[in-house]
Amino acid sequence: MDVLDLARTQFALTGSLHFLFVVLTLGLAPLVAIMHTRWARTGQPLHERMTRFWGQIYVINYALGIVTGLVMEFQFGLAWSGLTDYAGDVFGAPLAMETLLAFFLESTFLGLWIFGWGRLPKWAHVACIWAVTLTAYASAFFIMVANSFLQNPAGAVADGERLRLADFGALLTNKALTFSFPHVIGAGLFTGGMVLVGASAYRLWRRAEETEFFGRSLRTGVLAAALGIMVTVAFGYAQFGGVAEGKFGSGNVPASVALGFMIEIGQLLALVVLFVMLPLIRVLPRARWAHPVLMLMTPLPFILAILGWMAREIGRQPWMIWERLTVADAMTPGLTAGMVTTSLIGFTAVLGLLAVVDYVLIARAIRRGPQAPDLGATAESTPSPALTY
Amino acid sequence: MELLWFAVFTVLLTGYFALEGFDLGVGLLLPLLGRTRADRDRMVAAIAPYVLANEVWLVAVGGTLAGVYPLLDGRVLSALYPLVVAMLLSWVLRDAGLWFRRRAGGTVWRGFWDAAIAFGSLGLSAGWGMALYAAATGFQAPAVHPLGLLLGVVVTLLFAFHGWTFLAWRTPGVFGAARSGRALLVSGAAAALPALGVLVAAMPYLLEHTAPPATLNVLSLMVLPVAPILVGAQVWVWRTFRPGKDAVLLPSFF
Repeated sequence: MDVLDLARTQFALTGSLHFLFVVLTLGLAPLVAIMHTRWARTGQPLHERMTRFWGQIYVINYALGIVTGLVMEFQFGLAWSGLTDYAGDVFGAPLAMETLLAFFLESTFLGLWIFGWGRLPKWAHVACIWAVTLTAYASAFFIMVANSFLQNPAGAVADGERLRLADFGALLTNKALTFSFPHVIGAGLFTGGMVLVGASAYRLWRRAEETEFFGRSLRTGVLAAALGIMVTVAFGYAQFGGVAEGKFGSGNVPASVALGFMIEIGQLLALVVLFVMLPLIRVLPRARWAHPVLMLMTPLPFILAILGWMAREIGRQPWMIWERLTVADAMTPGLTAGMVTTSLIGFTAVLGLLAVVDYVLIARAIRRGPQAPDLGATAESTPSPALTY
Repeated sequence: MELLWFAVFTVLLTGYFALEGFDLGVGLLLPLLGRTRADRDRMVAAIAPYVLANEVWLVAVGGTLAGVYPLLDGRVLSALYPLVVAMLLSWVLRDAGLWFRRRAGGTVWRGFWDAAIAFGSLGLSAGWGMALYAAATGFQAPAVHPLGLLLGVVVTLLFAFHGWTFLAWRTPGVFGAARSGRALLVSGAAAALPALGVLVAAMPYLLEHTAPPATLNVLSLMVLPVAPILVGAQVWVWRTFRPGKDAVLLPSFF
């Protein structure tokens, strides 16, 4: 592999790893926020336990979303300085907004939510998880603005050797963005719903005590998955109006294959979710035959999400910015194969291992069930150990 | 407008040093002050509610670099390629240590992630000294330079002192000393000093490489109206987790 292939592999691997965790974050955040709101309204212990159990799954998953995201943010400057040199005046703006308007608040409010248990007033605590959800969506929006600019460089004009920002509104109304952003949000909700379904099916199949807890969780998951897949499919097809000529087809076989598999598997899943799982929603918690099937379906949304990104990103080749800048020209000049090999091994080994550990921890949390999760545990510690100081 | 965004950039980077400085400092002190598991739990619990709100300042620095100084984004990061990669991996390990240390019970598990916190904090602190030295020389010096290493030691010591002051402020008496909020401000200012020095020296260079007005105007229009919310959220963190008799509730999530 030459240095360009190595740099592309590095971005593809870290980016895919990042999105595996982000897609679940996007889906679980609103579901946990709804559970927390219910708990605040009714005060029922069942709702509290649901908030803490699924909230714990959400935050364990979130850890890897953060650490892979840190690597993504700085990778543009590290390996793709040709992009920031040529188009930074345009492309940098949505990235700056993502960090300042979205992630800065998301991280701050998440800290308040996790550690504010038992300290914050009830409704202020609920407001924190809604703020986290809202800013997570805002974050996804600005990243999609930046990515859509690469797909279709609207709102920029060439000025000598560089691109200049001419119309920021055109970036926000980019035809490559309007349908792809809801597509991503739908995919997130679908993934979150299917994780609720798969994990609940496991607990019910193992004849765990908490039939009401996981019966409810399973039904919530089916509803979320159904809504999510409808949005995903509808906005998936709607995107074809905005796809550039020649992106898919005989000219770009890998992108077309990824696109084909995503559409075929996605459609099949949509049929199963909408015409089998949704009508049987009342029966599923007691239908033991269905539980192993539901468990086995859990990885599918993640595979679809990666296929979707492969179609979109490989479909853009050989362009970094469609018909303006090639990927080869976007690479940092002077980068050597040795440098990229070292960082590729470092990032892949560390992030890959952490991802495996994270999934084991999520599986472990599910296997242990909703008895005394770590999240929110401080509220119960009476008498306070701090008093002994 | 260039001056305004230079001020924002300066506040973000020095703010990162003053805030994340004590998280990294406590991470550095973890093997030194945390003799028992309970001690280490208390040390991590002391910084836990602040970490997410503090480390995000560097994410904001990265975003501002991309948006306001796009030409420098690539130049600065790629000039220090191996160092930036090492710092990112240190940051990742430190974070993973915090998130994972209490997710399973065993002594080996806990020890491993506590070591990840300590080594990650060390790599990031020393890396900052080396990066600041390279920046001060206009990226002429190699990433690993004796003076850079020396500055790395200085930054590490400053962070460790800041972390120690933070512990003495938030959990007075638990690790020996008790310090006032004013002492914490002073140690924070000391921790931010190296970054501030480099920023002041680099001011003309930064101003010269600011993005054009069309980009800055859009950024100002979008970001500045929301700035009070950013400040408010940070203030809320400090108000919620201020020291007191219930400052360090155990078990803490981290």
